[in-house]
Amino acid sequence: MPIRGMVRRFLDLSLRRKLILSFLAVITMGGVITLMIGTRIEHQTIVSLAEAKVRHDLASAWMVYHERLNGIRDLMQLSADREFITEALRTGRPDGLAVRLNGIREKYGLDTLTLTDARGRVIVRSRRFEVSGDDQSGDPFVARALKGQVTAGTQIVSPDELLKEGDDLVERAYFKFVPTPLAAERPEDHQEDGMMLKAAAPVTDEGGALLGVLYGGLLFNRNYDLVDRVKEIVFKGEKYKGHDIGTATLFQNDLRISTNVLDDQGNRAVGTRVSREVNEAVLGRGMFYVGRAFVVTAWYITAYEPIRDIDNRIIGMLYVGMLERPYIDLRNRVMATFAGLAGLCVLFLLALLSFVARRITRPLAIMIEAADKIAGGDLSHRLEIGGKDEIGQLAHAFNGMTADLHDAREDLTQWGRTLERRVEERTQQLRETQDQLIRSEKLASLGKMAAGVAHEINNPLTAILINAHLLLERCEDHPSSRESLTLIAEETTRCAQIVSGLLDFARQTPAREVLADLNDIIDRTVQLLEKQAAVRNIQIEKNLDRSLPLVELDKNKIQQVFSNLTINACEAMPEGGTLRITSRLSRDGTRLEIVFADTGVGIPKENIPKLFDPFFTTKNFGTGLGLAVSYGIIRQRGGAIDVRSEVGRGATFTVRIPLESGAEKSEQSEDMS
Amino acid sequence: MTDLAKKVILVVDDEPTVCKSIREALLREDYEVDTALGGEEALRLSANKKYDVFIVDLMMPGISGLDLLKMLKSECPSSRIIMITGYPTMKNTLRAMQTGAYDFLPKPFLPSTLRNLVAKALGGGDTGSTPAG
Repeated sequence: MPIRGMVRRFLDLSLRRKLILSFLAVITMGGVITLMIGTRIEHQTIVSLAEAKVRHDLASAWMVYHERLNGIRDLMQLSADREFITEALRTGRPDGLAVRLNGIREKYGLDTLTLTDARGRVIVRSRRFEVSGDDQSGDPFVARALKGQVTAGTQIVSPDELLKEGDDLVERAYFKFVPTPLAAERPEDHQEDGMMLKAAAPVTDEGGALLGVLYGGLLFNRNYDLVDRVKEIVFKGEKYKGHDIGTATLFQNDLRISTNVLDDQGNRAVGTRVSREVNEAVLGRGMFYVGRAFVVTAWYITAYEPIRDIDNRIIGMLYVGMLERPYIDLRNRVMATFAGLAGLCVLFLLALLSFVARRITRPLAIMIEAADKIAGGDLSHRLEIGGKDEIGQLAHAFNGMTADLHDAREDLTQWGRTLERRVEERTQQLRETQDQLIRSEKLASLGKMAAGVAHEINNPLTAILINAHLLLERCEDHPSSRESLTLIAEETTRCAQIVSGLLDFARQTPAREVLADLNDIIDRTVQLLEKQAAVRNIQIEKNLDRSLPLVELDKNKIQQVFSNLTINACEAMPEGGTLRITSRLSRDGTRLEIVFADTGVGIPKENIPKLFDPFFTTKNFGTGLGLAVSYGIIRQRGGAIDVRSEVGRGATFTVRIPLESGAEKSEQSEDMS
Repeated sequence: MTDLAKKVILVVDDEPTVCKSIREALLREDYEVDTALGGEEALRLSANKKYDVFIVDLMMPGISGLDLLKMLKSECPSSRIIMITGYPTMKNTLRAMQTGAYDFLPKPFLPSTLRNLVAKALGGGDTGSTPAG
């Protein structure tokens, strides 16, 4: 469905376009309807105005017509009273009458002026003296005048009658039809009779007796006085773009016999005929016709009214037409003004609409952008849309929501970080605990084993040592034997020391704890080993926190530990270096930390877990018990020793001693008793 | 103390090599030295002969060194008893000294150390009941 497709495409458009298009549609529809109604009203107004005017003009034309008719009638009536006429009739001597009548006729611009006797017989024809004696009593005008009535009206005059008045009249009356497209069909192609304004008045003597009849007329055919006078009076002879603004025409039947409508050659358009439509309405039905009509060369707003003879028969038409063009132009101007105003309104509305649409859609666009940013994780983004309308409220709510979201995420992040840190701490603690557990389990089993082994080994060692010395005593004068025996004795002694150390470690002799200052112990240790270290080009730096609290511990054992660590560090720096000893309170304030950081060769990663194992040593001297014993001592105190090291980057041993003495104390106190 | 009255020493240890070695070391000093490999044998021997000094291992199967010390202390109160052990602990040492040992010698030891101690025990009169502390 194309319509459904269009609707969908419309719905997919951006909000702004939808708004503009919708409003545009409303405006356009409103505009078109207004324009249509306006045009119609305006057209009707102008048309009715024009029609009213043309009616009025036609009425004016009729006035001119009747004025002329009345003029003839008055002339007849007045002339009929003139003495020379009554005298001539009374005496029957019409000498000089013709000349005088002709003078009157010419003076008043009539075509005919004729005098009859009391029976209607022509006495004098002013136009043609020689034709007289014919009976005019059959003429309706003459007949009425013979009865004493003054009569005036319009009359169709036959060519015979015209001929009696003169050839020129016949000629003037004669028309060959000019082919006219819209005219009704007529069998004939020409017209011979003419249309005349005519008046007749009885001539009476003093006593009122009828002497004769005076009648005169004006042939309308090709006589343009009347129509031009109408034009002059009614339309003031104005022209519009080369056309006469107003025209008048006399029709005889449907034929233009007198007009100031011009044909395309600029000649008076006589001989043409009226359209069938007008013909039927006016001539056929005797109606007053008003309407547009195409008159010869242009459109006119026209009015036609039938012309009737004195017997009330329709014999022709009087026409007045106004050029339609000025009205059309007026209408067009009004229309143009109207359309221009409408266009301006539409433009203004469009601008307003565009502004409003922008006011609505721009914040939306900003919001969409903001939503994208927020979706992308930028929760600090804020909308900068003011206003108290719905958009402003929405923006405000949006900002509130984003802020909440931001806070919530901050909380979550914070919480997550805390959680992470706690997990790390716990993991570290667990690892340490596990390490310690493994170490202490190792130590426990090792202790048991060491006790057994020591006991078993000490017996053979005793035998060897005693016998070696007995032999030594015996071979005092045997130096080479003595040497060997001395070696045996010494090595046996060393064995004994190893076993002894092992036993020390396994036995964990009870601690004798007193309140002591750790820094003092460090000082003493360093003092003892300083010179030895200096010889080996090793510097010992102390970085001690002198404000550390006193703690309960076995000074000798702790010093042993520090000595072990210091000696180990020195041995790790065969080429010299620096040992930095730091004492401090742990961050949580529950432990003392003593750090031994050397710049020595470092410890391979794989060796670190084994460092505290008894007998683990990378040196070709020593018992491998130093760190194990140290660890045992610190653990007995409830503390721990950590190692961090990398090959080539030195090693850092951290001894951690809790401020509160460890729980193992009670166990040892039993041993001490 | 004359040559006629040769000092008699009994060495008690479950290890024959230890007994033999100690005997050798003391024979140089002209002592009469007997050995016993256990508590029972030591008691039997001491019943027939008066020993001036007993050298007793603390840890032996059967009668333990400490028990033997107690028994010898009651039977021959004038004899000096030196305890030796391959597993010297503070606890053992203290207990031995409290029970009445003359001294306590951890294994292994030099012959000279032993001889000095024995000489001290023999010459030192009756100071043996006082614990060394």
